[in-house]
Amino acid sequence: MAAAGFSIEKVEHELDIWGLPAHPVHLGDIGGFPIDVNPKTIVFTWVAMIIVLLLGVLAARGASVRRPTRMQSLFELMFDFLRGLINENMSPQKGNSIFTLIVTFFLFITTCNFLGLVPTLMAPTADHQTTFAFALITFFMMFWLGIKYKGPGYFKHYLKPFPFFLPITILEDLAKPLTLAFRLFGNMKGKEVMILALLGLITGVAEWGGGFLASVAWLGFGVFVSLIQAFVFTMLTIAYIGIAVADDH
Amino acid sequence: MDLSFNYTLLAQIFHFVLLLVLLRLFAYKPLLKVLADRQKYVADNIAAAEQEKAEAQRLKERHDAELKRVQEQTQEIMQKAARSAEEQAQQIIESARLEAGRLKDSALAQIQREKEKAMAELRGEVASLSILIAGKIIGRQLDDAVQHRMVEDFIKEAGELH
Repeated sequence: MAAAGFSIEKVEHELDIWGLPAHPVHLGDIGGFPIDVNPKTIVFTWVAMIIVLLLGVLAARGASVRRPTRMQSLFELMFDFLRGLINENMSPQKGNSIFTLIVTFFLFITTCNFLGLVPTLMAPTADHQTTFAFALITFFMMFWLGIKYKGPGYFKHYLKPFPFFLPITILEDLAKPLTLAFRLFGNMKGKEVMILALLGLITGVAEWGGGFLASVAWLGFGVFVSLIQAFVFTMLTIAYIGIAVADDH
Repeated sequence: MDLSFNYTLLAQIFHFVLLLVLLRLFAYKPLLKVLADRQKYVADNIAAAEQEKAEAQRLKERHDAELKRVQEQTQEIMQKAARSAEEQAQQIIESARLEAGRLKDSALAQIQREKEKAMAELRGEVASLSILIAGKIIGRQLDDAVQHRMVEDFIKEAGELH
């Protein structure tokens, strides 16, 4: 491996057929604040958005009460599944307000994750900024809905069961978005690195069998991980919001 | 690995919110409407089915009652018919018996009458024959005049016989 000069960066560079810079690009300054973006992440986010939108429109178009189309059935299945998860964690009336958020999380994260399975493409979720963006939305929704349903009394839960637990309860709340973001990012980045590494092995004759078979096996596992991580993120978002809006006993 | 943050974070938040809004507009709304419509459709159908079932139950009860009533009526009519038939039969038998008795009586009367008539005729015949025989037995001992008178009587009587 080392003899052939194997490196992830080299494979990544060889597979980069889109000509997108892998490093942040400076777009200018607004009020002294530098506007830097990761072009690869942004572009593949757009790709994922377009795919999700197309799927959604395809499902909604020709949606019928009596004869659901295939895509419609798939969406309805997902709706039912997520609705069930939401209703297990909060009252249906509260659940209604986050339903579209949850569905979008699940759809978008799944699509982003799957993008990473295609060589030369990149999962936007393999960039920590994407996962942190999602986790911040969850974090914000926790407070927004908590205050919406409980008023200022929402913050009382930091003093329970005892006021001197305050630092711990604050840490607990801060850990939620942090773990959400890093769990998804770590899984997707790891999956991507593994794909690159295994693709990198398919160069010499000796490594062909191992590299190719392992790559195929890993891609299969990648599908599984992608779905599981999207589900975990969605599920935890429901659970965190559920805790935030739960009525005190 | 570079874990610093730049504008990408905000862009991703914006992207997500944009996608949420677009999906809500173009995908979720129509799909959720279809789901709600279907739920309503199913609920309506179930309600209609229940109503129809109740209606059917009601009709069945009515028909059962009707059937029972008709059966009872039939039973009654049959019994009445059987009773009246029996009565009629009894009547017919009775009248036949009366008729037979009447016929028998009239036949007996007829026979009696015929018998009496026959007896009367026989009595006349016997008398004349007796006289005839008596005349024959005693004729020789009578004189001509008497004989003659007796023969004349006899002829007269004989003539009267018929």
